[in-house]
Amino acid sequence: MQRFLAAAGAALSLCAQAGPMGFKGSTMVMGDFGPNWQEAWVNYALTPRDALGVGTLTMRSDNHRLKREAMEVNATRLLARWNLPEAQANLWLVAGLGTLTGNDWVGSRTLVAPGVQADYETTRVYLSANTRLYRATGVKHDYASVRAGFSFYATDYDETQPWLVLEARRMQGLSDKTEITPMLRLINPRYFVELGVNQMRQARFNLMYIL
Amino acid sequence: MNSNTLTNTLKFIAINAIFSGAIGHMNAASAAESVKATVNGMVCAFCAQGIEKGLTALPSTKAVFVDLKNKVVAVESKDGQKPDLQAIRHEITEAGFDVVKLEAVPRSVAEIRADFKGKK
Repeated sequence: MQRFLAAAGAALSLCAQAGPMGFKGSTMVMGDFGPNWQEAWVNYALTPRDALGVGTLTMRSDNHRLKREAMEVNATRLLARWNLPEAQANLWLVAGLGTLTGNDWVGSRTLVAPGVQADYETTRVYLSANTRLYRATGVKHDYASVRAGFSFYATDYDETQPWLVLEARRMQGLSDKTEITPMLRLINPRYFVELGVNQMRQARFNLMYIL
Repeated sequence: MNSNTLTNTLKFIAINAIFSGAIGHMNAASAAESVKATVNGMVCAFCAQGIEKGLTALPSTKAVFVDLKNKVVAVESKDGQKPDLQAIRHEITEAGFDVVKLEAVPRSVAEIRADFKGKK
């Protein structure tokens, strides 16, 4: 279950730097892929501050015994943005509603998943924190992650900028482990990707792309 | 026509051609008109692509230049078209950023780009 919730929350956290939605009228695809979870989101920005989307997630436990599948519709709202001369800070709200199935129960359960995220970034430094609650009948877990990163050097707009980002994430009530993942992030006007390996030597690949 | 006269005539034609070409080039350069915007919050290329796409879609736009380091967005208008300052401000704002200064400059986007590249 920890991996499941981690994956579900990752869609929010991976988007921290670029925001969990694109510009008005854009469709953004987001993915988070590892051996124990595969997740994909797509949302459409109705306004500069609002997006509606759908997401799917498949997850399995470390011992491969448990499997969870979630489908959700979600709304993303930019609650506040501070555009500073050398930085940008944001406060986001994400609300998800969907179904959750598992191989250790029959049928599906209604999933409610509200979350908030705060981020601050410059062209060289990046910080974010987010939390998301995952609630279903018999399922009550809170997810939280923090990220900090820096870019190796500044680049022009049309160049690819490499970053080193360190993420720590944790699922309350499911595990006493805090997952630590250093990631190489590449940002370009066309795409946003992250490649990392956590302390359990599990590879991870994140992607954002605006259609 | 003796050889001196012929030589002088050819020199005159050559000099004229050179100068008229140069003047013509200068006129072409100064004819370009762009809008240079100073934008707050523009720190990430992936996030700023909305600015480029929005401005490129404007009917009067010929070229767009985004510079994250200097927080500048430049938009060159098509020949014979006046830049629409309101539309440019609107597109940048809709992309999620704040325009703190807008100015028309008699430069092409290529020249503005070269100016900033030269500053490095």
